[in-house]
Amino acid sequence: MGIPIYPVHLEDPLFQGFYDGLDAGELRITADAETGEWIWYPPEVVPGKPDAVLEWRAVSGEGQAYTYTVVTRSLLPGDHKAEVPFTVILFEPDDAPGVRVAGILVDDEGVEPKCGMRLRFRPVEAGDHRIPGFAPVR
Amino acid sequence: MKGNRIAVTGVGETPFLRKGEETVMQMMTRASLAAIADAGLTPADIDGYVSNKYAGHPSEEVAHAIGAGERRFTAVADTAGGTATTGDALRLAQLAIEAGLARHILIPYAIRSTKPGGVYGFHAREPQKAGLEMPVGFFGQPTYFATMANRYDHEFGLSEEELASVAITYRAWATKTPHAQRRDPMDLDGYRQSPMISTPLRAADCCLTTDAGCAYVVSSVEAARDLPHPVVSVQGVGIGYNNYPHGVLFSQKPCTFDYPGWESAAQAYAMAGVDPKDLDLAQVYDGFSISAIVQTEMLGLCDRGEGGRFYAAGHGMPGGCMPINTSGGHMSGGYVPGINLLIEAVRQLRGQEGDRQVPDARLCAVAGLGGNNHSTTILARG
Repeated sequence: MGIPIYPVHLEDPLFQGFYDGLDAGELRITADAETGEWIWYPPEVVPGKPDAVLEWRAVSGEGQAYTYTVVTRSLLPGDHKAEVPFTVILFEPDDAPGVRVAGILVDDEGVEPKCGMRLRFRPVEAGDHRIPGFAPVR
Repeated sequence: MKGNRIAVTGVGETPFLRKGEETVMQMMTRASLAAIADAGLTPADIDGYVSNKYAGHPSEEVAHAIGAGERRFTAVADTAGGTATTGDALRLAQLAIEAGLARHILIPYAIRSTKPGGVYGFHAREPQKAGLEMPVGFFGQPTYFATMANRYDHEFGLSEEELASVAITYRAWATKTPHAQRRDPMDLDGYRQSPMISTPLRAADCCLTTDAGCAYVVSSVEAARDLPHPVVSVQGVGIGYNNYPHGVLFSQKPCTFDYPGWESAAQAYAMAGVDPKDLDLAQVYDGFSISAIVQTEMLGLCDRGEGGRFYAAGHGMPGGCMPINTSGGHMSGGYVPGINLLIEAVRQLRGQEGDRQVPDARLCAVAGLGGNNHSTTILARG
């Protein structure tokens, strides 16, 4: 399986904390700093609370696949033929109900991807940055 | 809002091309002039417009290009895809006509799928997609809808043969449609030769790449009776909206394939005073085979979770009990979001479709997915 290589554009500071977390080996999600409610993806305006402050909080990294697809033709801008196939996962962390994190399936030799499969977070190198990987719990 | 007050009096389109030479404005102009002529009108008769934000041209540009007279009413449909062209536009047109603001309203649309930046360019501009999804390769409609298909399979079951039967059904209709882009017959073996894009979706499960324009004219039912074609009236329009913007639409909705089509269908059937079993045919917004399956269920043409088996049983095919996408839909006919499906519905109800005419077609539903909005429109002959 391949790994998608696509530059992370962090001109928008909304997402810096996510990649800082990956560099630290953590999966971090945004929450309302006052109430602790998960607010994901981080929006430009927290619904109904334009004054709300978001903070990044690490989750355990245990969870399951909501869904998946094996990408055989990457539709990212540019030439990505050498990077396929890879399996996109929408990951649901156990300790952040209602949150889904997009990542790729890793360490999956001999494992068929399935909705509901148990996964554990493991960041992977993708060029000059890290992306979220999720490994099957065997 | 009541049914049987407005009618679609004229329809027109340009050729559906894999790659055309004309601009969106040129194609919209040609389609508009064709629709106006089809209605037995002249550009001077057009006094209202519903334009579309994704076409990118306000109505003064269209009015100027077609050589029209004074504009008395303009509006812009605020939704995407088929919801704008087959739902919102009709609602706005009915409001304007019933209020006496306009008599004949033009609704044009054109698409250049081959424009620089491609059809996925607007997704790439979404900060959340660029920040959190593109770096893991979760990008482009086929990939998004593929994840829906796998989740649907997990919840309801969906075999390869069932999925394939959607594309095979629409292709069967396209073989009977002179202006369809893909008229080569396709069976299960042919489907399996189609390149896999993102499992389980092959190229054959995706809408086509099309450069073309389409347009239609809406008038009051009374005015329609004085125009050349049999009256095709709007009996019901329902629209389901919710507040998931594009940035989170494909990942964070509790059920990513639960479009607001249950709501739109319930509204439309109630307004029209009919049931799904009253329909003679349907046009379903087939951006992808999986979304067509789900909308077929939402229209009430089969039970929830049974859409794949509905198509596999041949019900939507020529000669089937509920013909669907009778010009090949967006997957084999051409992709001018929603609007070419509505035009096909109008022509079927006029009874002028030759080889592919559904016998005695009197009532047709048009399902229009658009981002996370959904419209259902019920059209009737007479």
